[in-house]
Amino acid sequence: MKLPISWLKEYAAIGNATPEEVAEALLSVGFEVEEMIYAGEEIENVVVAKVIDCKPHPDSDHLHVCMVDTGKEILQVVCGAPNVKTGDVVPCALSGAKLPGGIEIRPGELRGVTSYGMLCSGKELGVDDTIIEGAEVDGLLQLPKDTTLGTDIRKILGLDEYILDVSVTANRPDCQSIIGLAREVAAAMDVRFTPPVNKYKTVEYDGEYMPGVEIRSELCSRYTGRLIRDVRIERSPEWMARRLRLVGIRSINNIVDITNYVLIETGQPLHSFDIRFISKGIVVRTAEKGEKITALDGKEYTLGDDMLVIADSKKPIAIAGIMGGEYSGIMSDTETVFLEAARFDRRSVRVTSRRLGLRSDSSARYEKGVDYTSVDEGRERALALIYKLKAGRIVDVRSDAGIDRPEERVIRTSAKQICSVIGIDIPAKTIEKILRSLGIATETKARSDALVCTVPLRREDIEDFADLSEEVIRYYGYDNLEPTFLKSAACTAGGESERDKAILSLKNVLCGMGLYEMTNYSFISGKAADMLILPPDDERRNTVRLLNPLGEDTSELRTRLTHSALTVAALNLSRGNDAFRLFEIGKVFIPAGDGVQPHERMRLSMVYAGDKENFYTLKNAVTETLRFFGAETELNRSGQPYLHPGMSADVILGGKPVGSFGRLHPTAAENYGIAANVFVAELDLEALLALDRSPVRYSPISKFPCVCRDLAVVVKDECSVGELTDTIKRACGKDLESVALFDVYKGEQIESGYKSVAFSLRFRSLEKTLADADIQKLTDAAVCALKNEREARLR
Amino acid sequence: MEEQIERLARECREEISAAGSENALYAVRVKFLGKSGLISELMKGMRNLAPEQRPVMGKIVNETRASLEAEFAAKGKQLHEKELAEKLASEKIDITINEGSRTGRLHPLSAVRQRLVDFFVSMGFDVMDGPEVETDYYNFEALNVPKDHPARDMQDTFFLGGNLLLRSQTSASQVRYMEEHKPPLKMISPGRVFRNDDDATHSPVFHQLEGLVVDRGITMCDLKGILDEFAKHFFGKDTKVRFRPSYFPFTEPSVEVDVSCAMCHGKGCKICKGTGWIEILGAGIVNRKVLRTCGIDPDEYTGFAFGFGIDRIANIIHGIPHIKLLYENDIRFLEQFR
Repeated sequence: MKLPISWLKEYAAIGNATPEEVAEALLSVGFEVEEMIYAGEEIENVVVAKVIDCKPHPDSDHLHVCMVDTGKEILQVVCGAPNVKTGDVVPCALSGAKLPGGIEIRPGELRGVTSYGMLCSGKELGVDDTIIEGAEVDGLLQLPKDTTLGTDIRKILGLDEYILDVSVTANRPDCQSIIGLAREVAAAMDVRFTPPVNKYKTVEYDGEYMPGVEIRSELCSRYTGRLIRDVRIERSPEWMARRLRLVGIRSINNIVDITNYVLIETGQPLHSFDIRFISKGIVVRTAEKGEKITALDGKEYTLGDDMLVIADSKKPIAIAGIMGGEYSGIMSDTETVFLEAARFDRRSVRVTSRRLGLRSDSSARYEKGVDYTSVDEGRERALALIYKLKAGRIVDVRSDAGIDRPEERVIRTSAKQICSVIGIDIPAKTIEKILRSLGIATETKARSDALVCTVPLRREDIEDFADLSEEVIRYYGYDNLEPTFLKSAACTAGGESERDKAILSLKNVLCGMGLYEMTNYSFISGKAADMLILPPDDERRNTVRLLNPLGEDTSELRTRLTHSALTVAALNLSRGNDAFRLFEIGKVFIPAGDGVQPHERMRLSMVYAGDKENFYTLKNAVTETLRFFGAETELNRSGQPYLHPGMSADVILGGKPVGSFGRLHPTAAENYGIAANVFVAELDLEALLALDRSPVRYSPISKFPCVCRDLAVVVKDECSVGELTDTIKRACGKDLESVALFDVYKGEQIESGYKSVAFSLRFRSLEKTLADADIQKLTDAAVCALKNEREARLR
Repeated sequence: MEEQIERLARECREEISAAGSENALYAVRVKFLGKSGLISELMKGMRNLAPEQRPVMGKIVNETRASLEAEFAAKGKQLHEKELAEKLASEKIDITINEGSRTGRLHPLSAVRQRLVDFFVSMGFDVMDGPEVETDYYNFEALNVPKDHPARDMQDTFFLGGNLLLRSQTSASQVRYMEEHKPPLKMISPGRVFRNDDDATHSPVFHQLEGLVVDRGITMCDLKGILDEFAKHFFGKDTKVRFRPSYFPFTEPSVEVDVSCAMCHGKGCKICKGTGWIEILGAGIVNRKVLRTCGIDPDEYTGFAFGFGIDRIANIIHGIPHIKLLYENDIRFLEQFR
């Protein structure tokens, strides 16, 4: 809401308060000033000057060399305007001046003659005839001869003024107006507020055509119309055009300007119809389905049966509260105006405006809410201005329809109750004074602490004592609160869930292994599934889609984290960050059916890049994660389409896959623009979080010495180390403390198709010191089992 | 014979002192004191001595042997120390070389979130996680924002069809929590929220922390008390807190809360845009309608609620200029947070 200080002053006696002081007062009562705009900020160093001498330029047939008096000095200025002559009083841009459009004026030579400034036209100053008479002539803006020389031109143009851009919260539609804000400023600064007095004379109704009004929809609670006869369409006075300009509205003509002026000043949208285009009575009704109207913007709109229109007996003539029909507007030959002031349901205006894609100042205002009394206040203000500007004769006839004036809300409370949510004792007298300054009538009852408050109709936001508490404290001042520390509250246990704690611990484990945590958006590109080469029927392609995404890259909720991880990897690699380990723990969204909230599941992704990384470095992080949860898992070769088929694995928990990891498939890498060595893992954390996390039970530690033996066997190439390890463990039983791989060898001395695998076995018993014979028995068992199960022979 | 002993002892001492290594010293020792060494050989000649001379000579030989042993030990120790020192010196390495893997770190958002959680948990707050895909009811209706209410324009919401949306505020968790728990209650709900807003200062995904206390006799002063502590804890003990009246449909009275700028201590700088204050959160007394909707009697209980952006707190604490940096995951960014 734009609030010019001069306009504010008309209703709030703020005296010489600075714009900063007004902004501070507004802020203290809950209205943030987003910007403080100086109306003349585009113009600088332009003053009123008199042409005291004007001679043709010696070297030009249209330029003149003038001597001008700026009140301070005499300057030589070269001027190209056709209307320049001695004795003119005109605006002169001095050296270093700024003009609209970012133009700067510097002394310079024009065909050999030095010019120390520039005489300006209205156009060069960014004004037209509505702001100052003569601004549109071909040539210099001629000012009255008695204008004081040296005066800042911004004063002459009404631009020496500050405008506050006030942010009005959604609960205060009554402050979407100069008068509404003036009331708040006056209360906040403790100065007098004077609402406008609207006086006008009417002419007698002489039986001319006046449409009757009928409301046929609950979406309009009040509709009033007045007839203005003998309308003279002309330019508005400068003061009105200038004020409109300060709030960003162009002056059109007196009638249109008055409706705009009243909208800004009182917050009531008005509409003026040319009576020639209304046939018979006015009906406020919902449109017929498919009914069409061409609006003032020249476009045709097809209406729905829940959209409110103003219609005459034949056709809709306006979309209620949004825009008039093409012929309804004011034209240069308009003689009789039907002026509408009405109250339409804000929800209806909002929905209709959105569906039609049609917005106007009026609809924007109606969407915020127009109260019952505003209709009368706005209309009366408009009629007073029509009278004042002699824009037409107001006929003493009314077309009014709608509900009766509702009762004002009465809240029975007490000072004590009002203070109960605030927490400090504010004297009852102070409370009453604050409420009254806001137009809330208060009444106290003898011998009781009851306080009866009557709330004006414009304050629809005030419903109970808590709302009054807010009014009181925002004027009394939040700085007066005395902090307490939940002085009356009971003790509560609180704390994080075991699940949250487990996730945090896991994050710390991963960090300990050199992984940095990433945070990614929850939505991903619709192309992600293709980039990951997922088959057409893959369940991961079944996603929840956004109806109004920011763009294609963020159009679906992710069902997996891998796409995000690879996108981050690609970004880092493209920036020359060539070695990193990253992880993310985040939610994915698995569709659960139309209209049902999707399943939100926590997953873990990891991505490794760099020369030193390989399948096994990533596997280590996967294994440690599984160990963190105590998960007993198996590995299968993975068929993930985005992983290298020979360097990838699926993690199987209880017979079900819970994740995959491995080297990125070259085709997928290409899809992400990744040329480097990248490894990626993803695990379903829900499955792991569901595992038993009861405290670990201690296992005894043997106090006997250990014995180590090395064992090297030759096996077929395809026999895996895991299979060999399993066999050794099974054959040796509980006295085998550990078995560790220490060498895999292929080459000389080993026939092709075979490899030599060497293990280091560590034996230890819980019961005794193992003797050589015991160890021999155990290693023999291992060798025998390896031979039988894996066709291994001792090397 | 006595002379022979003295000569041998003299020769031995000379050779001990000449020995340059433990090995050389050992050779000297074998030569003189070994089983068939010179001293032993000399002892063999004792047989030829007169019986009464034998004990005298024996004593001299033994004393000489003991004194030489002591010298061998001393020299041995000296040589050992010298050799160890040489060995250690030769093993000197370049300590400026780095090897091996480094540890990673939590994302600054996680780290700050955890600090916030720890702070409120220490005061008895429960921690709740709500769904990110919410229904219109929990995100708006139950929070006193009916359909087509202008307050819906305060946030640009992502819609998913039907009555589903991506929650635009963690306040949605308030209602769910109050449906499950009855007062006295204290809870926080940190989590991810979404707004259809993407420019230099906005990210479509960000994080909020919602706080809620409902009990008998809760006031704005209690809210001020908690937020004072919060501000001191996170922005420094001299931090001041300012309440400004504002509007949220789910609180009444509602306030915007500013903290004094930690950079300029209220003088006005670039960070606080010259005002000396930084807006950090919205709060207020829980609207009586909201309590009633959740089945809590507003005449018996009152409560306060507050909500702030975790991203914003992280950015203020670490001086991160753009919210987008948090979601790029450039490793050079992530590595900075020790």
